Amino acid sequence: MGWLFRLLVDDADRRAIDSDLAELHDYRRRRDGADAADRWLRRQRRIYPWHLLADRAGTALLRVTTMPHLWSDVRHTLRSLFRVPALSATIVLTVGTALGATVAAIVLTRAVLVNPLPYADADRLQWVYTDNPPYRFSLSVVDYRALEADHPAFSAVAAFQRTQVAVSDGDVSERVTARTVTGSYFPLLGQKPYVGRLFDASDDARDDRVVVLTYGYWARRFGSDPTVLGRSMTIDGARATVVGVLERTSGPLEHDVALFSAARWPTPTRKGPFFTTVLGRLRPDMSADVAQQTLRATNARLFPIWRSSYQDEKATWGLVDLRARVIGEVGSTLIFLLAAVACVLLIACANAVNLLIARSLQRGRELAIRGALGASTGRLLQYVLVEASLLTVGAALIGLGVAAFVLQLVGAYGGDYIPRIDEVRFSATAVAWLAGLAVASGVVMGIVPAWYGARLRMDQALRGGGRSSTDGPTPRRIQRALVAAEFALATPLLVAGALILASLDRLSHVPVGIDTSHLLTASVSLPRARYPQETSREAFWKRALERLAALPGVQSVALSDGRPPSESSQQNNFDLEDRPTPAGQHQPVSTWVGVSTGFFTATGLALERGRLLDERSLQDDVVVVDRAWARRFFPGEEVLGRRFRGGGCTTCPWTTVVGVVGDVRWTGLDASGPLGTVYYPFVDLSTGFVLVRTAGDPLALHLAVRQAVKALDPGLALSDVATGDELMAEALATPRYLTILIGMFAGTALILSLVGIYGVMAYFVQQHTLEIGIRLAIGGNPGQVRRLVVWHGVRLVVAGVVVGTGAAVLATRLMSNVLFGVSATDLRVIVGVPAALLVAAVAACLIPAQRAAALDPAEILRDA
Amino acid sequence: MSTPTLQHFELHVLLAMLHEQGETYSVPLVLALEQRTGRPVAQAAVFITLQRLERKGLVESRLDEPESGRARRYFALTPEGLTAIETHRAEHARLWQGFDRAFRAHKA
Repeated sequence: MGWLFRLLVDDADRRAIDSDLAELHDYRRRRDGADAADRWLRRQRRIYPWHLLADRAGTALLRVTTMPHLWSDVRHTLRSLFRVPALSATIVLTVGTALGATVAAIVLTRAVLVNPLPYADADRLQWVYTDNPPYRFSLSVVDYRALEADHPAFSAVAAFQRTQVAVSDGDVSERVTARTVTGSYFPLLGQKPYVGRLFDASDDARDDRVVVLTYGYWARRFGSDPTVLGRSMTIDGARATVVGVLERTSGPLEHDVALFSAARWPTPTRKGPFFTTVLGRLRPDMSADVAQQTLRATNARLFPIWRSSYQDEKATWGLVDLRARVIGEVGSTLIFLLAAVACVLLIACANAVNLLIARSLQRGRELAIRGALGASTGRLLQYVLVEASLLTVGAALIGLGVAAFVLQLVGAYGGDYIPRIDEVRFSATAVAWLAGLAVASGVVMGIVPAWYGARLRMDQALRGGGRSSTDGPTPRRIQRALVAAEFALATPLLVAGALILASLDRLSHVPVGIDTSHLLTASVSLPRARYPQETSREAFWKRALERLAALPGVQSVALSDGRPPSESSQQNNFDLEDRPTPAGQHQPVSTWVGVSTGFFTATGLALERGRLLDERSLQDDVVVVDRAWARRFFPGEEVLGRRFRGGGCTTCPWTTVVGVVGDVRWTGLDASGPLGTVYYPFVDLSTGFVLVRTAGDPLALHLAVRQAVKALDPGLALSDVATGDELMAEALATPRYLTILIGMFAGTALILSLVGIYGVMAYFVQQHTLEIGIRLAIGGNPGQVRRLVVWHGVRLVVAGVVVGTGAAVLATRLMSNVLFGVSATDLRVIVGVPAALLVAAVAACLIPAQRAAALDPAEILRDA
Repeated sequence: MSTPTLQHFELHVLLAMLHEQGETYSVPLVLALEQRTGRPVAQAAVFITLQRLERKGLVESRLDEPESGRARRYFALTPEGLTAIETHRAEHARLWQGFDRAFRAHKA
């Protein structure tokens, strides 16, 4: 907002303000300390433009409301607007809706991309990751312990692991998302308790289990009961005591989290696994580059200690701003959406200006009479501007409703697609944006008609009677330019819409690799406390498979630790016996999925060569791979019998490939190409999906499956229940969401542009009735007149579409990361969309053209 | 000329200026207002109010930019400003007349 400050305050006053603020900053630094004073100064600078704006707006409002004759003008204009309801409603609704959508997009973009995270000193918070190009993954407990002991770049570090836990209370059991966090976690983020206390360093060493609830979970499960402190809860079968409730926060790190427990991670015996998210606060004098070097140095010292379980010397640590990490790839999509709604707003405004020019040309006579009766130019200007202002106020009110509605909709349904969604809300800032944009639209809508009103040649207007060609070429030129501009803006939107639609079509035709019909899937998690041994877990899964297979209507049952098309749990590295990784190089990585022996039957995944997994596969250390894996590592060679060692282990026995199956999508439908999959035996994992192939409707068996699991262990909860078809629909949800949004914008842009060209041509015909009449009277045929009018309109559209196509070619490149299987410059779309647009425009021009051709020359000449 | 209307905060700033006596700038006014109201006061609010009072003719200002040292805009009350304060005071006095007895009766 610095630019606004510079715009509203002159240089000398800026210098005076700066020195006054500096003096107050000095005073506060002595009184409250440097940190508080810096925070105060930042706040003062942030609020300055808002104070200025409020002052200027107040003054302007005072000036406007005390203008002479204002209220009589308002009354008269309202009456005259109600006499043309179609025009008034079109302007108010289109500009209002576009205003609301634009404000919603701005609020969303600001909340997600611009606003600092709601944590203390958020711009210094960093996410530390294992950098193993092209992969970035979390750290391990070993890594965190090393960083905790030696972190010269950070003033503090903290870590957490995300888990799913079963919370049971009597018969009721539910699965919730939890975090195990180190004692330094809450202090690092500067979070405070709402009631009770949060964790500190002493909790890292406690023996009893304690938890902190999030505000939302406390409200939902305990009805905000303040006596919850000290209460005992059963989490994953073990008792834990509630010690506090976290303050009400809307940060991305708390999204969907129900509770936090203190991290008491066992002392590791190997370097992995890498499931620990590490956060650090950069020291104030530390740059990211220097911090990166110190991280590398710490990592290099750690490497030799754990070489036996991790050989990838090239993998190191990197850091990235936590906000950038949270936002991910959504940033470019949001900016694209913002650009799309802004285009729609511009088109709506251009359309409104067009309609208002036509109206003011028609009102020329009325204005001329007012002028002839003694109204000054200023008075006429006020009269014209009041009309634009009233339309703007109407549009702003509609916009307010639309913005609030859209933001509510996005908040309710966008949680899975948009990060930081909890921070998006309709606030005073949104209203300020709406007011600002409405004023800008009002100025745009009022300026051209006002300019025309002020330049009105009274004698001509009075003589012309409103049906001559003497209105002067300028307003007509502006009208035509506006229509061309509307098409220039609509073309890229339509091209983008067509590209995204084509992309969605490709995506929905990607073969997932398994038969998703008649498939019911659900997640089951065995609490460590009650299933501590491998044998107890193995026994449970065996009983579960038997029980589920015995249900009526079940054809086959299986277990896996992932679900197609986008829920693979593991990406593991390994070393091939025949292609050993040179020292210091990255080992190859592929998707690993644990499956029970019945998996291939239940999913319809066909064996291509060799054999499938059986009961002895775990002891024999054998796996099945897919076609993509075989092609990637042994192109044109025999893959059966090849051996490798997984997870960077140098002392483990060799694992042998015994079979090859078809390709399955595990890492998303839009993954650039399968990296290959290894299927290993699912025997004693603690969390897995049950896959049930049914004869009839899979959802009809939902209850029976749930009861069967409950019968085996009443403390277990079935979660994430979904049919195979639902999983596919879920994978397509984000692109579908985007397609609908862009489709809506593109559709609106198309309709507005067509209304624009229709309006201009209808007005053209009306203004040239006399000329057309003469032409017809002296023997011109109706076909010629029709062609003349259509050609007149199409010229404008062609100009707009040509410019728009150029813009589309440039703009759609920004979309390449949301497109799948379609090039951003796909020739069929780039040529087809403008062509279709031209056809639609010709159709819109044909209506007034037909009217012109059907005119009766005798009647026209008599009236003239 | 009739006395311009005064908003609540504008009166606060005028009174703080009266207390400062003579020319003053935003910093002493911010500190004085914070001390008297017991609430934080934004420098932006004070400076912008001073500019508005100047537009109303109740204060006048001059810019002081020494070669070395801080630039400052000094503000002083105009006779109209002084009249505005007096008018407000008289108006308030009239409004408050007779309330002491009412308060006592209410408390009893």
